[in-house]
Amino acid sequence: MITIKGLHKSFGELHVLQGIDYEIKEKEVICIIGPSGSGKSTFLRCINLLEDITSGEIIIEGVRVNDPKTDINEIRKEVGMVFQQFNLFPHMRVIDNITMAPIKIRKMGKQEANELARQLLEKVGLADKANAYPEQLSGGQKQRVAIARALAMRPKVMLFDEPTSALDPEMVKEVLDVMKQLALEGMTMVVVTHELGFAKEVGDRVAFMDNGLLVEEGTPDELFNQPKNERTKAFFSKILV
Amino acid sequence: MDILDFRFDAIWNYRELFIRGLWITLGLTVVGYAGGLILGLFVGLGKLSKRKWVYYPAKYYVDFFRGTPLLVQLLLIHTALIPSIFGHSLGFFVSGAVALMLNSAAYNAEIIRAGINSIEKGQMEAARSLGMPHKTAMRLIILPQALRRMIPPFGNELIALMKDSSLVSMIAGGELLYAGKVVAGATLRPWEPYLTVAVLYLVLTFIFGKLISYVEKRFSNSYVPSPRKQRLSFGRTQAGG
Ligand SMILES: Nc1ncnc2c1ncn2[C@@H]1O[C@H](COP(=O)(O)OP(=O)(O)OP(=O)(O)O)[C@@H](O)[C@H]1O
Ligand SMILES: [Mg+2]
Repeated sequence: MITIKGLHKSFGELHVLQGIDYEIKEKEVICIIGPSGSGKSTFLRCINLLEDITSGEIIIEGVRVNDPKTDINEIRKEVGMVFQQFNLFPHMRVIDNITMAPIKIRKMGKQEANELARQLLEKVGLADKANAYPEQLSGGQKQRVAIARALAMRPKVMLFDEPTSALDPEMVKEVLDVMKQLALEGMTMVVVTHELGFAKEVGDRVAFMDNGLLVEEGTPDELFNQPKNERTKAFFSKILV
Repeated sequence: MDILDFRFDAIWNYRELFIRGLWITLGLTVVGYAGGLILGLFVGLGKLSKRKWVYYPAKYYVDFFRGTPLLVQLLLIHTALIPSIFGHSLGFFVSGAVALMLNSAAYNAEIIRAGINSIEKGQMEAARSLGMPHKTAMRLIILPQALRRMIPPFGNELIALMKDSSLVSMIAGGELLYAGKVVAGATLRPWEPYLTVAVLYLVLTFIFGKLISYVEKRFSNSYVPSPRKQRLSFGRTQAGG
């Protein structure tokens, strides 16, 4: 579904992604782990062109994302993204946060969009918060709204960039539960996370990124229990003590 | 010393001059401010543009009007620019209003630019990641938030412009300070007319200040409607239905 070939990304002199090849199939849940600054966010942001690509190519369902002829807005409609900092629109009620893109971008009717938003809020367990403003929600609630907002565009794939890293510990579970549910329903997901438990339980494959390269990947069992790469081993020995 | 024997009756005969001056000051303020807001929006957006032929004119405009004294601009416009375009002067009011407008537009442009830049990058990214084109995101997500942050500096700008309008007395402007000058010359008493002028400016500042803090409260930092505002809107629905 998503094919990445020879992806390089530099910020000026800083060569952040140093040639990534990867293939993501439909309904797969890919978890990406790795040390801070290794380029995980940059990788995710390249997939929907929030960062432009220095070289290489990304193909989503046969469409070359970084082709000048590709309408990037068309791609982004199909690729949902959830950010570490939620990025809800503070001047809109929860329901409007969710319905805005379907109404303005998908040209969905207002009634239909409201109906959809209510279903999604139900799904993330926030049916009673439709009329609240983001500032009235806890971090965990905000992130669940952000997930509902992305889902409202009916994307084919969802990208998560450390969705629980900005949360107080007691709120992590409620967000991970929503993501688990989503995975069970067959959503294709790419999740950058420090939640190794989640990666083990939900991930179909786990990839370890270090220094701008995916140095090792495999099933959770392969990666966590019998890592082959020295850097992967070193990373686990540091965080699992 | 004449400070010990104020004789405000000496200027009572000139009250109509002061009242006229008050109106002219108000007129210059309102016209200059409104024009400055509209023009400032365009110049401010110009300064945010990536296109060089839009950015540079906007930048030089701001540099010129912020980098030279308003009095110099006023004299240039009144004695040189307008006569060379129209063949004759259009009167002090037109010159004064145009100078105030062009000058405050430069300051407003900076307020608008800074306000837009102050919105977290994540807001634009979240909007774009939903498939929203840049312009739509600007209009629906960035500007509504930025405008709120611009309200306090726009308020300061209003008071500053009102006080700056006193410079129009230099081209025999007929506004408040000019009235004071005329009366001081006619009565040979400096204290009473200039004190009267000062007090009248204070009254204007006070009134504008009240207006500004009303608007600021109305658009406070929180997006959640205050109970008072809610009650107002309930009243409206009841009246409507
Ligand atoms: N817009 C940018 N301009 C310049 N350098 C950047 C930019 N964005 C990221 N970088 C640099 O790229 C490198 C990789 O950053 P990235 O955010 O992708 O890392 P990460 O793996 O997501 O780390 P973390 O776990 O801390 O989120 C870092 O050295 C970072 O400083
Ligand atoms: Mg990151």
